[in-house]
Amino acid sequence: MDEPSASHCRAAAPVPVRAGVSLKAQHYQPVIEQRPSIGWFEVHPENYMGAGGPPLGYLERIRRDYPISLHSVGTSLGSHLPLDRDHLGALKGLVDRFEPGIVSEHLSWSHGREWYTHDLLPLRYTEDALNKVVEHVDQVQEALQRKILIENPSTYLQFRDSEMTEQAFLVEAARRSGAGLLLDINNVYVSCCNHDWDIEAYLSAIPANLVGEIHLAGHTVQAMSRGTLRLDDHGSAVCDEVWKLYKNCIETLGPVPTLIERDSNIPEFAELLGESIIADQVLTAAFSKYEVAV
Amino acid sequence: MKSLSNLQQAFCDLLRTSDPPPRDLMDELLDDGTALERFNVYRNNFIVLNGDALADMYPTVKRLIGDEAFRSLANLYVRKHPPATRTLLLYGDRFPSFLESIPELSQLPYLPDVARLEFEWTCAYHASDAKVLARDEVASIPAETFTRFGLEPHPSMHCIGSDYPLFSIWAANQEEGSDETISLDSGPSRIVIVRPGMEVETREVGEGTFVFLQRLQTGDSIEDAFNLALQTDSAFDLAVFFSHHLFDGTFCALRAC
Repeated sequence: MDEPSASHCRAAAPVPVRAGVSLKAQHYQPVIEQRPSIGWFEVHPENYMGAGGPPLGYLERIRRDYPISLHSVGTSLGSHLPLDRDHLGALKGLVDRFEPGIVSEHLSWSHGREWYTHDLLPLRYTEDALNKVVEHVDQVQEALQRKILIENPSTYLQFRDSEMTEQAFLVEAARRSGAGLLLDINNVYVSCCNHDWDIEAYLSAIPANLVGEIHLAGHTVQAMSRGTLRLDDHGSAVCDEVWKLYKNCIETLGPVPTLIERDSNIPEFAELLGESIIADQVLTAAFSKYEVAV
Repeated sequence: MKSLSNLQQAFCDLLRTSDPPPRDLMDELLDDGTALERFNVYRNNFIVLNGDALADMYPTVKRLIGDEAFRSLANLYVRKHPPATRTLLLYGDRFPSFLESIPELSQLPYLPDVARLEFEWTCAYHASDAKVLARDEVASIPAETFTRFGLEPHPSMHCIGSDYPLFSIWAANQEEGSDETISLDSGPSRIVIVRPGMEVETREVGEGTFVFLQRLQTGDSIEDAFNLALQTDSAFDLAVFFSHHLFDGTFCALRAC
């Protein structure tokens, strides 16, 4: 396993059971210069699929000091259309080059016939959609030669003919494909509020042994003609309700690598660092509790 | 109940319009009276996410026409030319010609060229890395044969010519609060974009340099490229050009011609 390679001067690949944060272009410099105490960073591989240039150069530099996770947004696991071999090849190239500790993708689809929505669209939770997702997860895992994690989505509408709950679909997709789960607690909260689902029932259906990563993010609330809709825009701090759910989840699941996710309204790096410290405290408390129990 | 493929195709085709969704799609949605508002969240996301990518690509165009006008043009563009690839890194390649097709923009005839410049800037940002031409490499060949070689420009290099003072227009809009007035009659502009390291450089160059680099790009020897450059611009000084740019990353290798 200790073959000499270009990676010998790098941080180890596995993502530690600590808090990580989304790595944004605005933060390349402060991260390189200050080497903040962060367990790991997560990036969207699609932002690193250029031929060369600064993004890849900075990621290479940051990878020396930190483990990373690749959180894909472009595979379109739930699409009825075939996976894109070029995209999968580019993803495999990044996996080989950067040796991520975790690779993940969303339970959604985004692929029109000849174009891409670049939004994560909702699935109808039926047996045929499940088969399609499992087939695609198998293909991704085969191409990458590794296990991936599937993330629960935030959704704004439901299909009348869904045959199972989202959590049942998600867990079944993971079980049949051998994938793990990325549990986005903000997404659970957003979707449960939007559809009047029982949060406790959702979370208790998620087996601890499948969860390889947790996401925390902020969302906004939009008024509708009747009631409100929560929109998962990753543009603000994690809200109190989600922190509460997170603490409960960590008590139940045990400590899990946890990402502070931010994709818009990017704040000063210190703000994300602050949120990661809170998550680290929750994880540390869970570790000491676990040790006492042992 | 629509098949999986019909449902997904209808769903994403409808993201591209603002027409009311047909009954057969609405029948697929669980409706508590807000199904249309919920569907419109996806429509809005589609327009906004891809429109934001366009705004990142074209900050100067946006500044020149204002946020509101840019947003409505972006909405039209995203619907007409949705992303054709799974990354958004180079989304918006047809935006310059799209701007040309908008009659209301005919008062700003230089706008498509500004967009071309910005697109090429981002292409250079993501272009392949390459090593810089080394002094040793040039020193290793007999000096008298040097001009019979070609020079491989950095893969990020792109030459843009405009009938308008494109460089001045672009440069004046790179700083907040700048209100410089530029006369559109101040002549054409020749620009070379190149990213030798981590920074994209946007250089205004003379006609001679422009022709010289374009010829090298197409594979001419230094000699042939220089002769053509001189025909266009008798003031072109190769020694001065090389003293600045032979080893600064504009080129990555000598090429036998």
